[in-house]
Amino acid sequence: MGTVVLLVAIGLYCIIAKRELLKIVIGMEILTSAINLSFLVMGLGRSGVDALAQSMAVISMAIGACVAAVALVLVVNVFRHYGTTDVRKLRRLRW
Amino acid sequence: MAVQPIMSPIMALLVSAAIMPLIKILEDQLKFKRLKEIFITISLTLCLILLAILYRRIPEGGHLEAFLSGFGLPFGVQFYVDVFSVYMAMIFCGVGLLVAIFSYRYMEVDTGLDKYYGLLLTLIAGMVGVAFSGDLFNLYVFWELMCISSYSLVSFRKYRWEAVEAGFKYLIMSTLGSLIALYGISLIYGFFKTVNMHEIAVKLTLAQSRLEPSAMLSLYFAIGLIICGFAVTAALVPFHSWLPDAHPAAPASISAMLSGVVIKTGVYAMGRILFTVFSVVPLGVVVGVKPHPIPVVDFGFALTVLGVLTITVANLMVLKQRDLKRFLAYSSIVNMGYIASGLGIAAYLLYHYPGKSYGLAVTAAAGAILHILNHAVGKSLLFLSSGCIVHEAKTRDIEKISGIGRKMPWTGVSSSIGLFHLAGVPPLAGFWSKLLIIWGGLGYLQDPFLLTSTAIIIVNSVYAAGYYLWLMQRLMLGTTGSAAEKAHEAPISMVAPVVVLASICILLTVLLPWVIPMVERSVLALIGGG
Repeated sequence: MGTVVLLVAIGLYCIIAKRELLKIVIGMEILTSAINLSFLVMGLGRSGVDALAQSMAVISMAIGACVAAVALVLVVNVFRHYGTTDVRKLRRLRW
Repeated sequence: MAVQPIMSPIMALLVSAAIMPLIKILEDQLKFKRLKEIFITISLTLCLILLAILYRRIPEGGHLEAFLSGFGLPFGVQFYVDVFSVYMAMIFCGVGLLVAIFSYRYMEVDTGLDKYYGLLLTLIAGMVGVAFSGDLFNLYVFWELMCISSYSLVSFRKYRWEAVEAGFKYLIMSTLGSLIALYGISLIYGFFKTVNMHEIAVKLTLAQSRLEPSAMLSLYFAIGLIICGFAVTAALVPFHSWLPDAHPAAPASISAMLSGVVIKTGVYAMGRILFTVFSVVPLGVVVGVKPHPIPVVDFGFALTVLGVLTITVANLMVLKQRDLKRFLAYSSIVNMGYIASGLGIAAYLLYHYPGKSYGLAVTAAAGAILHILNHAVGKSLLFLSSGCIVHEAKTRDIEKISGIGRKMPWTGVSSSIGLFHLAGVPPLAGFWSKLLIIWGGLGYLQDPFLLTSTAIIIVNSVYAAGYYLWLMQRLMLGTTGSAAEKAHEAPISMVAPVVVLASICILLTVLLPWVIPMVERSVLALIGGG
């Protein structure tokens, strides 16, 4: 449980504080892994991990991979438009 | 594996999405243009018919359920359909159908349209799946299907920097929200050892007298995570900042989809989880009387505060906007605030005045649910007509397109009807939904919290009506702007969905005596009892 909380904290920190787009995507992946681990920890019983928790973690991994794929496609497109992956340069949209 | 009737709408949409590339190949082979468009129209119409059949089959006050490939409780993937689910699914498919028709001409300048229509179908399939899910994890899976499709659609015109930047911002914020909600779901799973919503509700009802303070604390934590997570997609302040970027950057058809229905899915998921899972039937009631469920925790307070904050902040931001689509995007946030505070007021009443306030809570929730329909119709109308205007005038600046309604009479009159509808000008349906929410909030005048929040809602409604009428005056009566001079009426297949939506606005008002019972059945399905 402690590991889960630690990983969630690291993931959130990466997303919020990092300026490199790829690092933000990595932070997202760390957060996904943390939550998969959380499902496994929550399903831990006397006779191993509950089958429901395992199946949910597997499906969640697949979804995480899809999201990462879309995110990386967008990073590539950002690089084509801006020539950089620094998030501070992405400030053309006003609030 | 036989497809059960409940899953048939989702299956129809997913299968159509899967064979869309084949249709593209067939179209190239046969040299028959518009085959894709005809195909998507047919499949969405089919889906609407299947939903109508499903609606007829739902028993009074009951539900239909099915399990994927024969696994039963507690492991099976459950599809659970009641009136509220079908009501939402019909809104999703109906708006989707009109958006698909609008895209015939609007999107013809783009390439890769088979991917566009395929993603539109998976987007709608994801939303219908969210509405039909009976367990939390299934809901998350369909949720991500919806989200991934909408990220791709927002950045569909990837040759423009605006679309890519807004798409990336949307992706990061929305994924963060979904993951936070998933963390909440995992905590709930750890607590109850099941993710089925109705099983959890039963377990919670049995355990209600034995909940320790530490257990309550972790429940509060999980509920907070779920509210924050889904509030990102529902665009409640302070989680709203992706929306004003994503809506203008997306193609107008997709903005209509996003603002009309995708953000409603956030509120649906929030309402469904909070009301179905975290409401318990009080023990020791008289046999024969159908008991009214009571929320275990005071999530109504949180929802109302978020809703009122959303309305106020977004209303202040609207007036700064000089971009037509940004203006409409902020007003979507305002309307999400009404829906959230309507549901919040209902939950607050049920929690603080159990037994006495059931009728009032039903009124407030009915207002919120009717407002979902009103806003879906009105805002997709406005975004589609903004698409017509941008298609003709090539700019989104309100100053430059001032007076364009006179050059484009059908679009102009339809969008004025939509603006009147959302401003809540009395005979139109948009007025009645706000009235119901306010009516519910004014039920207990001695409660200072309810009184204050309802007063803020009333002030904001009047203020919002002001800027809607300002926009109407600009579009229809203002001096002709530089971009409006050469504008003509948009092509017929773009104006037709706009006119249809405007007639739905008027029809809704005329048909209110028939719409209200459906809304009432949805409310009873959502909050239980009755």
